[in-house]
Amino acid sequence: MSVAIKAENLTKRYGDLVAVDHINFEVQKGEIFGFLGPNGAGKSTTTRMLIGISIPTEGTAQVMGFDIRRQSVRAKELMGIVTDVSNVYTQLTAWQNLIFTGKLYDIPKSERESRAKELLQLFGLFERRNDNVEGFSKGMRRRLCIAMALMNKSSILFLDEPTVGLDVQSSLIIRNLVKKLNSEGLTVFVTTHNMEEANQMCDRVAIINNGKIEAIDTPEMLKSAIKKLQVIEVSFVGSNGDLTSELKKIQEVTDVTKNGDKYRLNTENVPQALSNVWGFSKKKGLTINTLNTLSPTLEDVFVELTGIQPEIRPPKTQRGQD
Amino acid sequence: MELKRIFKALRVAWAIGEKDIRIYYARPGSLVFGILFPFSMFLSYIVGRNVTVAQAIPILVAQTLFFASSSIGPITIPLERRLRTFERFLSAPISLITVLVGKTLAGFIYGIAISVIPILVGVLVFNSVIVDIFALVIGLLLSAFCFAAMGLMFASIPGQHPGTVMMPMNFVRIPMLFISGVFIPISELPYWGQILSVFSPLTHTIELVKGGLGGENIFGGVLNIGILLGYLGLFLFLGIRFHIANQKKE
Repeated sequence: MSVAIKAENLTKRYGDLVAVDHINFEVQKGEIFGFLGPNGAGKSTTTRMLIGISIPTEGTAQVMGFDIRRQSVRAKELMGIVTDVSNVYTQLTAWQNLIFTGKLYDIPKSERESRAKELLQLFGLFERRNDNVEGFSKGMRRRLCIAMALMNKSSILFLDEPTVGLDVQSSLIIRNLVKKLNSEGLTVFVTTHNMEEANQMCDRVAIINNGKIEAIDTPEMLKSAIKKLQVIEVSFVGSNGDLTSELKKIQEVTDVTKNGDKYRLNTENVPQALSNVWGFSKKKGLTINTLNTLSPTLEDVFVELTGIQPEIRPPKTQRGQD
Repeated sequence: MELKRIFKALRVAWAIGEKDIRIYYARPGSLVFGILFPFSMFLSYIVGRNVTVAQAIPILVAQTLFFASSSIGPITIPLERRLRTFERFLSAPISLITVLVGKTLAGFIYGIAISVIPILVGVLVFNSVIVDIFALVIGLLLSAFCFAAMGLMFASIPGQHPGTVMMPMNFVRIPMLFISGVFIPISELPYWGQILSVFSPLTHTIELVKGGLGGENIFGGVLNIGILLGYLGLFLFLGIRFHIANQKKE
């Protein structure tokens, strides 16, 4: 597998403010790479440098083998870009938007027309091709935006917050389309606040905070690296009173929180802690009702590394006070 | 290879200009600043005065050309910044100069299209006679380019609303009307006014259009063309430099 993006000491300063601070990372061809971080962390600035909107103060990056500073035109020929807002021309029709994009990339007439038709069909917009985009829903505009980014048969797609503000159905359509395109060989660089989206879509993620990369790995490896966030959830049959202080005394348990009739035990050694909980229940004559081990979510990793609560916390990943 | 690259840039610039024509020509800002504004100023100038059609038509032509050509850049660029469609150009495999040439083309065509109307009215309704087609055509073409480039230069003022650009530009455009022979003939200006009028590009537009329609030309066609060419180069150079400087701040 070869490299699609290689950032080397990429830096952006605005006066005294260092928005991106000498970051280094690589994205492999064919992968979906997630770029996560709280607001102001530097993820949009990094993306803007990679796509040629912003000029790095220091360092550089290569996109598909082309230096973004010295060979920016060659690099841009291979990129498809979807910004965080659907920047389509609302006074034009879907067809006109695609054709104009084709002209910007100087694609010959017959090729741009066949490509526009193909993309409109792929993105479910062909029936509405002659309608002004003004009347399109957010989800349709987003799909059109992605279609426009693919007009030049891009090898790498930059997606900034692809599903923010969309309903569940539109989000699902877009995620599935991105996965489909990726399975056909498209490299995807996605910036998102949505941890669940990153967890589901990305082969690897980078977490950026204060302009620096805090971690890069697969979502599962990042989760397992945060050992102290591993949790055992246990409830006992007919237990009377609060067992919190007694459970805290169990070896390998670092903290205990009572949530209703369940106790959440934090541990860095799940197998040993499980064995100790079993021993505790025997010793106390308690019958275990339910016993679950909960792995940290990507959101937990994010919060742990950045110290900041992400903007979107899907209810199913919400945790107690652990 | 170089020629191929230039042709590609021109095709893309034309595509940008064509898109602007389609989207922005009928927008309220373009209609107000490009058509309504010069026409109402013209009417306020001629109503109640003893001005002949031969005197009035060149002024109307020059004034509409001036306002229409210079308005498109300051309307489209801030709007595209606000809607973030300008980022499409920056992330496309084209140079910023290509984008700016496209924007200038849109202003140029708008100015020509609007200013041709009073010429046609003059010729068809009031029997105006075109005595020097070269002066008229070169005056229209050069002036439309020059004023479109002027609009482009002002559009480099950072901002996301056309008003942010229009206000400072009108501080320059409106005083120019007083020293260019629009309201007061150049021969009736005080001496310092006559000196200043030489440096106003609008003076030379009026001179060339007047010359084309059989009126008096004070400074002569060569000086008119030279000054307009000089301003065209200056506005393009400064406009491109300012826009590039803006991109570096991104």
